[in-house]
Amino acid sequence: MFGWFGKKQSANIAKDRLTVAIMTDRASNSEYPFMDELKAEIIEVVKKYIGVKEVAIKKEVDGELEALSIDIQLDK
Amino acid sequence: MGTVIAVISGKGGVGKTTTTANLGLGIAMNSKKCAIVDFDIGQRNLDMIIGLENRVVYDMVQVMDGDCTIPQAIIKSKVNENLHFLAASQTKDKSVLTSQKVEKLVKDLKASYDFVILDAPAGIESGFEHTIEFADEAIIVVNPEVSSIRDADRAIGILDAKSQRVKEGHDVQKYLIINRINPAMVQSGEMLKSDDILDILNIKLIGKIPEDKSIIDASNQGRPVVLDKKSEAGAAYIRVANRLCGKDVPFVDVEVTQASGVFKKLAGIFK
Repeated sequence: MFGWFGKKQSANIAKDRLTVAIMTDRASNSEYPFMDELKAEIIEVVKKYIGVKEVAIKKEVDGELEALSIDIQLDK
Repeated sequence: MGTVIAVISGKGGVGKTTTTANLGLGIAMNSKKCAIVDFDIGQRNLDMIIGLENRVVYDMVQVMDGDCTIPQAIIKSKVNENLHFLAASQTKDKSVLTSQKVEKLVKDLKASYDFVILDAPAGIESGFEHTIEFADEAIIVVNPEVSSIRDADRAIGILDAKSQRVKEGHDVQKYLIINRINPAMVQSGEMLKSDDILDILNIKLIGKIPEDKSIIDASNQGRPVVLDKKSEAGAAYIRVANRLCGKDVPFVDVEVTQASGVFKKLAGIFK
């Protein structure tokens, strides 16, 4: 992990930085074409019971595991 | 029915056009009929790399608009009769492409060639999307460098979302080419290793191309580097072309600095 002079080798720094950057990119750029419709439908369903201010849907990737996280902000 | 392969990268300047030219010729050297098509509208360059810039009469936009036929617009390579080339339009812009027109062109080419290779424009805009839309497979070219790898990941994301094959419920096969590997820098820990890049992008590796001065020499002359028997990059491209043609070619570890490098340097002194 460390080079001859105790300096971290730059290829390792590159790998660490890339891993984080790409994970963030993938999460914010989930390419589902139906995302807007999904959001609208969730708002409709929840609205029947309680006021909704906003819905945010994020795709989260952790290794082989992929998940959609849905944040529903309530309208007080 | 042939196979349509889009060569993509996201970032510009990583070697897409060089890869298209060399794989096209490498496939043609396997006695397969291969068409290479420049999709970089407004920035035509594949013609220069294969030395056919003076022979272009019609371009792919004119074919799509019905101004001429494919056989009229196709230019045959001077070095291999199996390699045919279709130029990008240099005068129009990317907005002239429509899905309908691209689909017809790609299907017509697919019907008469074993392989059709589409050289995508840099970026992830509409020109890129049209290039990948009707491709069966994609080759992603990266350099071992952070911006290239990050942009490639974005391009792969869009490929997976916009490909016609994916929309129809199939997979689009993706292959990675790592280009411009500097073995000494990989050894000293100053350049990302292939394994690290594969971990991050998580797609199948089809070739590692070492950095090689003969690439510039080849493009100066308009003769793809696969024709240069002494070039390491040329040999690496031949191996990729053979793999695409279904041959089982073992991987050569181009990241290991060869002991023969010392002999080459010694030989250089006595030249």
